[in-house]
Amino acid sequence: MAKQMLIDAYRGKRTAKAPWVPYAGVHCAFLIKEAADKFLQDPALLAKGIVETAKRYKADGIPLLFDLSVEANAVGCELKWWPDNVPSVTTHPCSGKTPADAGLTFPTKDSGRWPVIFEAAKIAKPQLEELDCALMGLFCGPLTLASHLAGVRIFTDVYKNKEFAAEVCKFAGEVGAISAQLYAEMGCDIIANVDPVASQIRPETFREYVKPNCEAATKVIHDAGLTSSFFICGDCTKVMEEVCQLGTHGFAIDEQLNMNFVRDMARKHNVGFGGNLKLTLALSLGLLSPREDAIVSLAAGGHIGYTFAPG
Amino acid sequence: MADKINIDVLTLDSVQCAACGYMMESIAALPSDVQEMIQYQEWSIKNKDGIGKFMELKGKVLPTICIERDLVFESIIPQYEELIDEMARRAPNDQMRDRIISLRGKGFEFDKIQENLAKAGSGMKTRTDS
Repeated sequence: MAKQMLIDAYRGKRTAKAPWVPYAGVHCAFLIKEAADKFLQDPALLAKGIVETAKRYKADGIPLLFDLSVEANAVGCELKWWPDNVPSVTTHPCSGKTPADAGLTFPTKDSGRWPVIFEAAKIAKPQLEELDCALMGLFCGPLTLASHLAGVRIFTDVYKNKEFAAEVCKFAGEVGAISAQLYAEMGCDIIANVDPVASQIRPETFREYVKPNCEAATKVIHDAGLTSSFFICGDCTKVMEEVCQLGTHGFAIDEQLNMNFVRDMARKHNVGFGGNLKLTLALSLGLLSPREDAIVSLAAGGHIGYTFAPG
Repeated sequence: MADKINIDVLTLDSVQCAACGYMMESIAALPSDVQEMIQYQEWSIKNKDGIGKFMELKGKVLPTICIERDLVFESIIPQYEELIDEMARRAPNDQMRDRIISLRGKGFEFDKIQENLAKAGSGMKTRTDS
C-alpha cells in the first residue's frame, strides 16, 4: 500500500508501478456482512467497512464513501434506502422553483449525514494511515446535484430555460465547494468531484454549466494543498477534452471508454487518469476474465499518471 | 402491443448510476396523457435478461433509451421535446402521433414519478441474481 505513489499518479507524475484504488462503495458493506442502508448511516460500520476493504484489496487509496445522495439529502431532498445499494433521491425541491425560492440553504457540517461521515473519517483515518492508504473524499458534482435538485427537467432547462438552469447549477457548485472543504477538514488526501451525468450532455453544455461550477471546489482543494480529481461515468468521449481542461489534477472514467484514447488525452493535458477495469462485464458478470481485463488496462495505462481502478 | 409505443431503457442500474436514473426519470416524468400511450421497462445489464435485451437491441453504450427497438438516445439524457418528437415519429398510427405532438408544450410532471418508476420495474432487477 502506497499513499504517496497514488497521490503522484493522481497528479500526472511517473510512478514505479500503477497504484490501485477500489471504488468499493457499498461493496464494503457486503464484505463486513451488513446491509448497505445500515452501513451508510452508522459511522462505526462505515469506518470498519472501508478499513477492512482497504486491507483485503491492498488498496493504495479508498473512498470514505461513494454515495452521491449526501449533498442532495443535506439540502432537503428525500431518499429511498436500499439494503444492497446506495440510496436514491426521490424528491426534487427545485422541480418548480429556484433554490432561493425553494428556501434551500447551504449545508454545514451538522447537516444531513455529514456528522456520520465526520465520525467515520475520525475512526478510519488513523487506521488507513497505518496501512499507508490514502483517504479519499468524493462529493456530488454540479450537474448531478442539479439533477437531484430539479429532476430531469434540468436537461431541458439547460437549453430552454437557461437562467433557471444556471441558478440551480451555481447553487450545486457552491454546495460542492462546501463538501470539498468538509472532506479537507476530515483529513482526506484526495478529493474528487464526481459528476456522472456530465457525460450525458453535449460539450457546449458541459462548458457552460459544469466547468464554471467546478472551479470553486477545485480551488478549495488546491488551497488546502490537497489533490483533486474529476470522476465521470458513461460514454464521455464527447466531453473528454473539456474534462481534461477542468483544472483538476486528474480524472477517472468508466469501462465504456477506450483506455488508449484516455491515456493519450491525459498525457496531452499532463493530468492523471484512472480506470478502467470493467465493473460490469468482468467484475460483476464475469463475461470477461477480470485477470485478462486487468492486464489490458495496466498495459494501456502505463506508468505515467495512471491509477488502476474499476471503471 | 400495437396500441402503445414501446420504450426500453438499457441501464447499468438506475439506482446506483445517476445517468441511468435520470434516463429512466425522463420517461417516468412524461405527463399522464403521454403515459397512457407508452409502455416502458428498465433493462439493467446486471442480470441475464438485461444482457439479453442489450444484445437483442444491439446496444452500444449505457444508458440508452430505445423507442420501438431503435437506439434513440445513446448517452444523452433527452430534452422533453426531443422525447416527444422521437415518440411521435414512431407512433403506430396517425391518431396517436397527432395526440403526442399536441402534448409538446406540456412539459414534464413530477407528481407521479415514483409510481411510474415502480411500474417500470426501475431499480427492482439490478442484482446479478434477479
